[in-house]
Amino acid sequence: MSNMLIMLILLGLGVVGFFLGRGRALQVAGGDRRELHSLPVYYGAHVGLNAVVPAAMLLFVWLIVQPFVVNNAASDLIAAESASEAGDLSLIMSDVRRVAEGLDLLASTEGMSDAAIAALSVDDGNLRERLAGVGVALGADVQADTLEAAKRYRAVDATGDMLRTITVILVALAGLALSWRLITPAFRARNTVEKGILAVLIAAATIAILTTVGIVLSLIFNTYEFFKLYPIGEFFFGLSWSPSFSGRGGSSELGIIPLLWGTFYISIIALLVAVPIGLFSAIYLSEYASRRVRSIAKPLLEVLAGIPTIVYGLFALLTVGPLLVDVFGQDGALGVNWMQGGTAVITAGLVMGIMLIPFVSSLSDDIINAVPQAMRDGSLGLGATHSETVRQVIIPAALPGIVGAILLAASRAIGETMIVVLGAGAAARLSLNPFDAMTTVTAKIVSQLTGDSDFASPEALVAFALGITLFVVTLALNVFALYIVRKYREQYE
Amino acid sequence: MNDMTPVNRKLGTMQDLKISARGVQVYYGDNHAIKDVSVDIAHKTVTAFIGPSGCGKSTFLRCINRMNDTIDVARVEGDILIDGEDIYDPKVDPVQLRAKVGMVFQKPNPFPKSIYDNVAYGPKIHGLARNKAELDEIVEKSLRKAALWNEAKDRLNAPGTGLSGGQQQRLCIARAIATAPEVLLMDEPCSALDPIATAQVEELIDELRQSFSVVIVTHSMQQAARVSQKTAFFHLGNLVEYDDTDKIFTNPQDSRTESYISGRIG
Repeated sequence: MSNMLIMLILLGLGVVGFFLGRGRALQVAGGDRRELHSLPVYYGAHVGLNAVVPAAMLLFVWLIVQPFVVNNAASDLIAAESASEAGDLSLIMSDVRRVAEGLDLLASTEGMSDAAIAALSVDDGNLRERLAGVGVALGADVQADTLEAAKRYRAVDATGDMLRTITVILVALAGLALSWRLITPAFRARNTVEKGILAVLIAAATIAILTTVGIVLSLIFNTYEFFKLYPIGEFFFGLSWSPSFSGRGGSSELGIIPLLWGTFYISIIALLVAVPIGLFSAIYLSEYASRRVRSIAKPLLEVLAGIPTIVYGLFALLTVGPLLVDVFGQDGALGVNWMQGGTAVITAGLVMGIMLIPFVSSLSDDIINAVPQAMRDGSLGLGATHSETVRQVIIPAALPGIVGAILLAASRAIGETMIVVLGAGAAARLSLNPFDAMTTVTAKIVSQLTGDSDFASPEALVAFALGITLFVVTLALNVFALYIVRKYREQYE
Repeated sequence: MNDMTPVNRKLGTMQDLKISARGVQVYYGDNHAIKDVSVDIAHKTVTAFIGPSGCGKSTFLRCINRMNDTIDVARVEGDILIDGEDIYDPKVDPVQLRAKVGMVFQKPNPFPKSIYDNVAYGPKIHGLARNKAELDEIVEKSLRKAALWNEAKDRLNAPGTGLSGGQQQRLCIARAIATAPEVLLMDEPCSALDPIATAQVEELIDELRQSFSVVIVTHSMQQAARVSQKTAFFHLGNLVEYDDTDKIFTNPQDSRTESYISGRIG
């Protein structure tokens, strides 16, 4: 029976349990719900949850454990000498699984009976062709022990499936019956359901955390693989980035410094644009603007945050870049020849800065608004002007939050990819000239993983090392932001 | 209400007149919050404004240093003169006026700065000190006047927000008197304080009377009786009665005043 169907049955049992529980509660109370500790729906939910949750958890665990058990049962049949060859038991087992899968297909498409399958033998000769006929292509003829193992695999797997279905449904029924019997007027169903809800919330939080751990682990393992192929010192301190895709290997130079430099240079320019504009607009909107202006201007500003970054990238490539070349390039308005092409650090930095304005302004605006009115009154009451109040009282009071907003914007800038790809070019370069094309860590991660390079080569695996470096940098920034916010947070009344 | 005017005039001639309000009307949008209030406040006295919540006493207080200007919908009519000068005259800069008419608020609102910087804030803004030594002196003098010096002198660089509620309120008073105001407005300065801190602040108010004209809004009639020489009773935006504190509490002229101080309305 498919797992989908089992889940549907469980849900059905849950619904049935709900109505049974509710009915039972009303019945034990003699139809008077005031006799009950909880509302009847709580008794229903109690029975329903008890029917579904333990059974679903059992199903989940079983689905994880069963493949291991089946694998073990089948691998016992593989002859020791064929398994010991190059220690590739796992390769043989993957063959076993494919043959078993093929047998399943034979059974379902050609209507082969179980007895016929049990009678199959490698001496029939055409087994490989027959399996290929149902879409399972094998690299070589099927060995005798492989076939036997595959038969065993099928059998154990089928037994496991059946046992699973029966056990899960039995557990569901048992949960339903037991919880149904528990119902008395004094039974605290409300509290039980409360615990169930708590468990759901904890499970959600756990999933979020475990996912993060999983991402980090996958990065770490691949990074470890990379450092087995490429010296760690040259990665972190190499001044040159020139991966070779010729496949000869060994000729790649994968130093992260030029990429980190590009990342920080572009981010700094972006922040130089975004922080003053964002902060000043936040001060205007929260302190000076009338309610009407604010109600129109703030959403308009936040529209900027909703524009996809690829659109910003196009804006950089097609508008800002050529515009800057017209000013700073050859025959430009300034008569200087600083800029060779439209793709440059300054192009990407400016456009990224525009993208970050709403991050800085919106957060700062909220934070400035959160400064108590009593602070403003106190300052104005002492004869300070509005801007003195903003400079000397409001901004210092809001500073931790504003720093947090800026660091958040910095994290965004460091992680930004599309604007860099389109605006700053793809050349990894160590240069101080903002009119040069450069590239960043994120843009290089994309270019290392696209294309048809071998996934086990250092040129591809370097992406994970770059990724984890970036992760550590942004994590450090975030931790630092939190530290700043905590340390300088002011306690208002 | 017209029968109050002779009394006011008598007061005005008896002592130095500091603040003189004539026919003050305040509107919050369509809401007529203060209705034709005329009052004379003498120099170096404590004047208490009492009355039930929403009677306009705080609103009127905020007219005296033009804090109502910061509220968009508020509109003030009539004349308020301080030392004979109309503070609503276009020539008057409200910012300068507020340095002259200090204000202490209902809840202690120290800035998130050190105790020293809290007190030095006003003098710095108005350029009252020529150098650091003078500023130090102003800060010390203000803290001494606010009876906070002994508690705060060893922690001048600690944040003002770290003080206790009563200390914070005295810090706000020190902050207000550091700009050398001539009038000190206090909007229910003790309503967020415990009885001990209240007693300290009341004692302080009595001392401040030596140098300033103090106007205090209070909900506590005992407090008004304890600290003030003059009491004004507001009701529904009207100034009902204004007289010597003793007289208001022992022999009120208006039946509404009598009802309020005996606890029947409010």
